[in-house]
Parts: sequence; structure tokens; C-alpha cells
Amino acid sequence: MNKRVKRLALGAATAALMTMGGFTPAMADTVLKFISWQTDDAGTGDWWHSAIAEFEKQHPGVKIEFTKAERSSYADTMTTLFAANQPPQIVHLASFEFQMFADSGWLEPLDPWLKKDGIDMTGWAGQKTCEWNGETVCIMTNYFGFVMAYNKKILDEAGIAVPKTYDEFLAAAKATTKDLNGDGIIDQFGTGHETKGGPGQYLTEMLNYIIDAGAYWTDKEGNITIDTPEMVEGLTRWKTVMKSGISPVDMSASDVRKLFADGKMAMRLDGPWLYGTTEKGSAKSDIVYVAPPLTPPLGGSSNVLAMPSDIPDDQKQLVWDFIKLTMTPEFQRSYGTMGGNTPPSPKADVSGVEKTIPHFPVLLATMKAASEKGIDRVPIGLELYYNEFSKMIMEESQRMIIQDLDPAEVAKTMQAKAESIKG
Amino acid sequence: MTDTVQAGRRKFFDLARPSRQHLLGYILIAPAVLMVAAIIVWPLILAIDLSFQQVKIPRLGGASRPFSLSNYVWLFSSQEFWLACWVTVKLVVVVTAGSVAVGLSTALLVNNRFEGRTVARLGMALPWAVPEIIAVVIFAWMFDTSFGLFGWLAIKLGSTDQMIPWVSSSTAAFWAVAITMVWKGFPFVSIMCLAGLQSIPSDYYAAAKVDGANTFQRFRWITMPLLMPVLGVTLVLTLLWVFRDFSIIKVLTGGGPLRSTQTLSIMTYDQAFQYHNFGRAAAVGVLTLVICIIASVLMLGRRSKSIY
Repeated sequence: MNKRVKRLALGAATAALMTMGGFTPAMADTVLKFISWQTDDAGTGDWWHSAIAEFEKQHPGVKIEFTKAERSSYADTMTTLFAANQPPQIVHLASFEFQMFADSGWLEPLDPWLKKDGIDMTGWAGQKTCEWNGETVCIMTNYFGFVMAYNKKILDEAGIAVPKTYDEFLAAAKATTKDLNGDGIIDQFGTGHETKGGPGQYLTEMLNYIIDAGAYWTDKEGNITIDTPEMVEGLTRWKTVMKSGISPVDMSASDVRKLFADGKMAMRLDGPWLYGTTEKGSAKSDIVYVAPPLTPPLGGSSNVLAMPSDIPDDQKQLVWDFIKLTMTPEFQRSYGTMGGNTPPSPKADVSGVEKTIPHFPVLLATMKAASEKGIDRVPIGLELYYNEFSKMIMEESQRMIIQDLDPAEVAKTMQAKAESIKG
Repeated sequence: MTDTVQAGRRKFFDLARPSRQHLLGYILIAPAVLMVAAIIVWPLILAIDLSFQQVKIPRLGGASRPFSLSNYVWLFSSQEFWLACWVTVKLVVVVTAGSVAVGLSTALLVNNRFEGRTVARLGMALPWAVPEIIAVVIFAWMFDTSFGLFGWLAIKLGSTDQMIPWVSSSTAAFWAVAITMVWKGFPFVSIMCLAGLQSIPSDYYAAAKVDGANTFQRFRWITMPLLMPVLGVTLVLTLLWVFRDFSIIKVLTGGGPLRSTQTLSIMTYDQAFQYHNFGRAAAVGVLTLVICIIASVLMLGRRSKSIY
């Protein structure tokens, strides 16, 4: 009897558990995973949160789990997740790292989705970068142009006008680099470049001078174009800047920006994101944003949204709804008003943004100037090998600076090595 | 009949019987063995398998690529691999020697009786207690080329008139990594040596003193021979730690400049996560493992006889 009761109880408990289990999926929310490095970025992070809130309002029962992964280890995290068959449903990647995922066939082609909703991408800044093997595999979230921020107080004290050319920039930087207390250590730098953040960042920093010299890594057909007189001039400029002591060395981007924001640097060439740091710095009131003296301004695609190709169709529809939401004119406008970013959509109404972000017209102008010239940090034809290529360029540039090599010889070496990488 | 069968089963599972005691042993170690197999052996097999495939980014459960020796062919013909081997060997020799020298010296120091010995022992072990990543970040600040403490000290002491480019000079970067590793590694040697020193009977020293042996002679003929078993094991463990350490180099120099601090660990990471060549990364990892095993066997093989 006792045994029978026990069996009955066990059976009832099992049945109850199974019944509850059967109900569970219907009761639970659908959760979309969204990993990003921008979750708590001032402005941009708020914009993502607002888009998520609006999406969840429009889709009751669907939640977006917004999780942060550090930028420094972001590519590693995403690689691991994709390799483990656990990609997030909403894929956020930098514009120089999505190619490997696209090449492996892990990103959903978005052309049918765009066509279905009749979305015209004409004029969408940087969208061409999202085409891989003839298919659109992502939506460009941010395309930017570099600006120059300068400390008015430092330039005024040195009696120097705002530079308009490379030569003036170099002269101004030299004149404002000072050891203020005479202890043998430079306390105030003319400008600042990040050289510790990895090859991609190193390449971006030196590209300012290379583009101004009229050079670039590849042409529009993807041929390597490093061994040119223009590139030799660009490399010479980079060597001059790094060897003349006008920039601190071996510093991360955040440290360089902080140094500038706190009034220990006269000029800084940077993207729109510099504003978030300067707003918190002690020299906030002395900082002015203008178009950079190096032209055309360095610009390019920054980050993209995509979706994995092997998630269920109902989830794909939800992810597409989210991507579509971020592309609406309203959210493109708030990308500027909230995030201080330049929205890539040509339909975005950005009037009045300058009331909250005074230099917004400069950001727009440099973005357009860079976009019209087709400037991007990722060289055509080397997208799949960007990390290897950028590391090679960084190492050869470091060798040029450390061993005091002739830039013409360095350009030849870079050309040969780049061709070898491309295969 | 049923009772006989049940009795037979009971006998078979009677783990208290002397003839069944080995079964109990197997059952008790089974969870640990399974866990080790799951977290070490299985990934190791995967890595070995991966090293024989030409694969960029693998996918769990994905189809295997055909067997290929191309990763190993690339590896042995790659200048980068041999440079990484050379840097690893240099770092292993310098850091192991430095850690043993500093560790043994501090152990000998705090083995003596003096006022404040407890505090000194605590101070000696402190670097070991600091999490590696925090220690490296602190050292990165101290080695900062623009505002770092070490550069400032060098100027104040008059050894240079400008800041030292710790991370953008090949030689300086190597020494910056080595110094940080010695700082982090010497307390382990100290603790092990201190334990070894305290196990040496004081009678030996007393007898040697009576015989007129001076401090150096006592160290040479009593301390060192009796400390050698402990020192041997410590040496191997330190060597293996330096060999496979990743975080110190990654945070401090990232393997640069000009790959002057790129060890085999850093090369493995770069091939996998920077260049997305997981096949090649697995090949570097497998070779690193083989080198570590050979080094351990060579060093422990002879030493273990003197221990046991």
C-alpha cells in the first residue's frame, strides 16, 4: 500500500512537472540577445536603450537582453559565440570585423528583407561597405568624419592661429609641446595619437596624415598602392610626428582623450565620440571643434547591425523589425540628438541638433566630405585580412620609427608584404 | 532461487570485501576523472584534431575539414614561429633565473630571526596575493613612457635626460615584461624555499659552525644540497608558468614592439583571434604543449629521484 502511494505521488509529481514544462514556452517572453560594446556609452548607449524600449513596446512579450562586452575583447567574444553556435540574435559588429563572419556564411543576406519592406538604401552613408560577395549582409549604423578639437586657451597663450594645413598643424603642435615645470618631463603635448590600442587603431591614427598626402593602401579595384611617392610623403609625416615628441607615446585612446579633455594637449584629431570625453573634462570650456587641417578628413564606417543566418524564421522577423526601427527617420534623428553621432540615413532630419551639440554642423560636414571622397579605414580588397594587414603596417611603421628607416624603403617593404598577405 | 541471485548481487556490490576494494577506489575517483576528461582531455583532442585541418574559424558540431599537415608545414617554415620560440626561451631563462635569485635571497633573509620578521614575510608574499591582471595594470602605469614612475626615477637619478620608451623599444619592452614577471613570480619561489629551509635541521649548521665553516660554506655545503629537491620542483613550476603566461605580456606590450615580446602563448592567441586562423593556432598550441612536456620530463626526471 505504502509502495503504491509512493508510486502514485511520484507519478503525479512527474505529470505535474511535465505539464508545467509544456506550458513554460508559451508563458515565457521571447528573448533576443543583443551584445554590444556601446551599452553604457554616453549618448550612444542611451540611444540603444531608447530603441530597445520602443521595440519592446511595439512587440509585447518580446524582450531584448542587452549585454555589454568590452571593445578590446569584443571580436574574441563574438568569434567564440559564433564558433560555439551561440550567436546573439541581434549582431552588432565593427565595420572592419563583420567580413569574416559574412565570408563564413553566418550572416543573413538582407536584400530580400529590404526588398520586402521597400526600403531604399540610396544615399545611406557607408552602406556599400556592407555588401559582401554581391549581397547586403548588414546595415551601416554609423559613418563618421574626423574633426579637430583644439584647446583655445593653449593656442591663444602660444599666439598661434588655428592650423589649416599639415605644416601649420605641425608647427602649432611643436610650439605647444612644453615641459611646464622644468622637471624634464613633457607636461603639455601639441597633439596626441593612440599607439597602444592595437593595429587597427594605429592604422586609423596614421591614416590622417596619409590621406592628406594623397595616398591610400589600395585603389578602388583593390590593387595595393603603397609604393607611391604620396605614401612615402604620408609615412614621412607620421614618422616626423611620432619622432618629434609632440605626441605622447604608448597610450590608449581613452588616456589620450582624457589628457586632451583635461587641458594637457593642444589639438586632437578624432571622431564624434571625442565629445563625450571632452564634456566631462576639466578643460571643457576651452575646447573648440573645427574641420581638421588634414583633408579630406579621415572618415569611415564604424559599426554595423546584422542577423545570424541560422536562427529560426520568427526570430529573424523580430530582429529585422528591430533593425528597421533603428533605420526610421525618427531614430536616425535621435541618433544625432541623443548620441551626438552623424546618422547615415539621408532622410534623417537633423535640424536643431546644434542647439545641444554646437559643433554638430562640423561633424555633418566632415562626414559628408569623407563620404563623397569614398574614404574608409578598411581598404578595398583587404577586408578579410584587415587584422593581418594592419598589424603588418603597424610593425613596419614602428620599425621605421625605432630604427630610423627611410620611408621610401619602408613603403617598398609594405607593398611587398601587403601583396603577400592578399595572396 | 531468487534469494540466491540477490545474495550473489549483494556479494558483487559489497565494496567492503577486500577483493572489491579497488572498485570503490575507481568509483570514488570517477567524478574527478570525468571532469578532467571533460575540461582538459576533450579540448586537447579537439585542438590536436583542429591542428591537422586547414580551418579559419571552426564551428562546434560543424563538418571536419580533410586531414592536412599544412599548419605544421607553415609553422616550421615561418620566421614568426622561430622568433616566438627564441623570445619564449629568452624570457623563460631570464625570468626563471631572476625569480629564483630574488626568491631564494628573500627566503634566506626571512628565515633568520629579526624584529619585524612576520611583516617581512607578509611583504614577501604580497605580490603573489595580488591578482595578476591588477599587478600588470599597475606596472603598465609605472612603465608608462610619458608619465611613468620608472622613467621619472631614471631622470631624477640622472641615468637619462628623457623618459624611457618602455613599450616602444624592443629591448626596453622585453625588460619591462621580464621585471614584471619576476616581481609576480618570486614570492612563489620564496615560499617554497622558506618551507625547504625550515625543514633543514639546525643541528647541521651548529655542527658546521663547530667545525669552523663560515656562512658561505654553510650555505654551499648544507643549505643548497638539502634545498635542491624543493628548488628543482620550484624551478620546473616557475619555468612552466613563464612558458605559458599570457596576461602579463598581453596587457603590458601585446607582444610588441616588432614582436620582441611575442611568446608562443601570444602567437597562439594572435593566430586564433586576430587572424582567425584557428588551425594554425591549434598547431602552435600543440607544439607548445609538446615542448612543455619534454622540458618537464627532462627537469623532473632526474630531480624526482633525489626527492623520493
